[in-house]
Amino acid sequence: MASNISGVVRVLVVEDERKLAQVISSALQAEHYDVVVSPTGEDGFFRANAEVFDLVLLDLMLPGRNGLEILQTLRQRRIETPVLILTARDGIDDRVLGLDLGADDYLVKPFALPELLARVRALLRRGRPSDVFRLKAADLELDLVARRAVRGGRLLDLTAREFELLEYLLRHQGHLVSREMLARDVWKEPRRATPLDNVIDVQMTRLRKKVDVDSAERLIHTLRGVGFILKEGES
Amino acid sequence: MTRWSNASIRVRLTSWYSLVLALMLVVYATATFLAVRHEFYEQFDDQLHDDFETAEGRLMAAADGRVVPVGDRHHDPDAEDRGTEVWSANGELTYRSDSTPTLPPIVPAAATDTYRYESVEAGGHRWRTLTAVTMAGGRSVVLRVSRSEDHLRTQLWEIVVVLVLGLPLIVALAGVGGYVLARRALTPIDHLASAARRITADRLHERLSVPNQHDEIGRLAAVINETFGRLEASFDQLRRFTADASHELRTPLAVIRGTGEVALSDARTVAEFKDAVGSMLEDVDRLTHLVDTLLRLSHGDAGTVRLSPGTVDLGELAREVVGSLAILAEDRSQQIAVDAPDRVFVTADRLVLREAITNVVDNAIKYSSHGATIKVRVAPEKQEVVLTVADEGPGIPAEHRERIFDRFFRIDEARSRDRGGTGLGLAIAKWAVEVNGGHISVSDGPTHGSMFRISMPTTQQPSATHVEGQASQAMGRHT
Repeated sequence: MASNISGVVRVLVVEDERKLAQVISSALQAEHYDVVVSPTGEDGFFRANAEVFDLVLLDLMLPGRNGLEILQTLRQRRIETPVLILTARDGIDDRVLGLDLGADDYLVKPFALPELLARVRALLRRGRPSDVFRLKAADLELDLVARRAVRGGRLLDLTAREFELLEYLLRHQGHLVSREMLARDVWKEPRRATPLDNVIDVQMTRLRKKVDVDSAERLIHTLRGVGFILKEGES
Repeated sequence: MTRWSNASIRVRLTSWYSLVLALMLVVYATATFLAVRHEFYEQFDDQLHDDFETAEGRLMAAADGRVVPVGDRHHDPDAEDRGTEVWSANGELTYRSDSTPTLPPIVPAAATDTYRYESVEAGGHRWRTLTAVTMAGGRSVVLRVSRSEDHLRTQLWEIVVVLVLGLPLIVALAGVGGYVLARRALTPIDHLASAARRITADRLHERLSVPNQHDEIGRLAAVINETFGRLEASFDQLRRFTADASHELRTPLAVIRGTGEVALSDARTVAEFKDAVGSMLEDVDRLTHLVDTLLRLSHGDAGTVRLSPGTVDLGELAREVVGSLAILAEDRSQQIAVDAPDRVFVTADRLVLREAITNVVDNAIKYSSHGATIKVRVAPEKQEVVLTVADEGPGIPAEHRERIFDRFFRIDEARSRDRGGTGLGLAIAKWAVEVNGGHISVSDGPTHGSMFRISMPTTQQPSATHVEGQASQAMGRHT
């Protein structure tokens, strides 16, 4: 996963809001990343230039130096570390500008931490082959080529959408999946709205019924207020 | 220039009026004077002609062969201001009366037997002369009679004086009159202006009094009153919205705070804490969603939303929306009946219009009871395509229909919140339809419940390739 010699993934978080920086850094640390926090644009710029990181989380609104400026200068100096920008602004312009200047992805504040972690994983995974034809968790098996799902030897009768949903949960096995992520990645909706939230909940209830109802071990869990997680080893 | 444009309307009106009047009077006076002068000279020339004939009748050849006027001096042809001369054919003066001034000599060769009138200067006075060749005593002579123009010119001068002195006087009088009239006509406007100024933000319910609805001032006052009406309505709406928005934002905040406080003081187990945190996160989620939606609406208000309009098959779009929401209806054992033909095209931003339809259909699902049937219908009408969504809900009382699309408007507070609404769904729908050039309204359903109606202007059918592209897009999404 890491390009670093030590094998530990280093992440630079350039964020001036102390509390948010703390939350982000502890979430990343819980995933065993090595986190460095820069409280100002100047400091962030200096560190990104001088040290080696696997990923930079960059706030766009910073005191001292604008996030977009930092990004631009980094790219001009051929420092190609993946950059995930964080923006409070709702404007499309900012994101487009950020992506144009060489950012790899963006998140709009306020974001859900599972979402942040998923994006971080995706950026770190980039460039590595991810083609798998079979996904597994406990006695649940998904054949992505035949589009078949089997749990404990029993074929599950899933609709196309349910299959996609289960596939997504399995790909993020052991990690939280927010409704935001499901809306965007499974339902392909650019915007999350209340009706869709309800659709997701109903769909999830049905899927859980089909996957978990006849088995002793529950695989799909709901974490209230956060999202869903598929994991083994809990009843 | 600046001072002129700053002058009040009545000053400008009066000035223009006086200027035009003065110009007209100058033209009129000049024309009158010219006509009078022409008439005077004509009469004068007639008198001169009479003199000529009288003198002609008195011409006789004298013993020495000279031709001279003789006899009857009865009407005194040679009074002070008149003269008579007789010239022979070879240019010799044969007779000149005593009163005749020294006029330039006659050139006999130029004289003919037609009358020639002339004005000549002599001895500091102007004389009018009539010259012609005539026969007397078998000889051809040139006879010239003359009259002083003094009297005539005095008369004409008097007329000029009267005209020139009278003209400014008339203009001045007319100007004063015009100013008074203009002021009387414009005073009501001044009154309107000061009355309108008194009606400010806190007195918006007041209106201007309209004395006569049918004259110009009355119509102006009516228009201003209408504007005040609209202003008051939007002020009211803003006030309501601010109150509602702060209520809607504070409620989840209060719940989050309360949950946190209770958890800190009461919770014992990890499970209890987790539950409290989960509940708080749910409210944060709700709050986030609310703020996002409000932001979108304010972008909509500011007109800063960029649309990407294209040709949209409304029938296909309706089926797509119903397809994606069907699971919600199923969950409530409801049926959604779709009656939508293919290839009814409108021009719209597909995603935005889709959101409008989604909200309206979702609304219908939410408010219809278990087992109800919701009817979605798309039908082309004259100039537009109409999409209707009829539910079997409680219906919307007529008095609320106006406000049903307002932000945060809810007929029944508690029940709507139970169903997870933000109170902004229909407001978003209205914005989304209108920004695409359509119109949304609500009426009674065919049997009971209510019926939402979205109408969009019809578009010409797109080219075949475009349709294919859309169809495949829809298939990709619609699963």
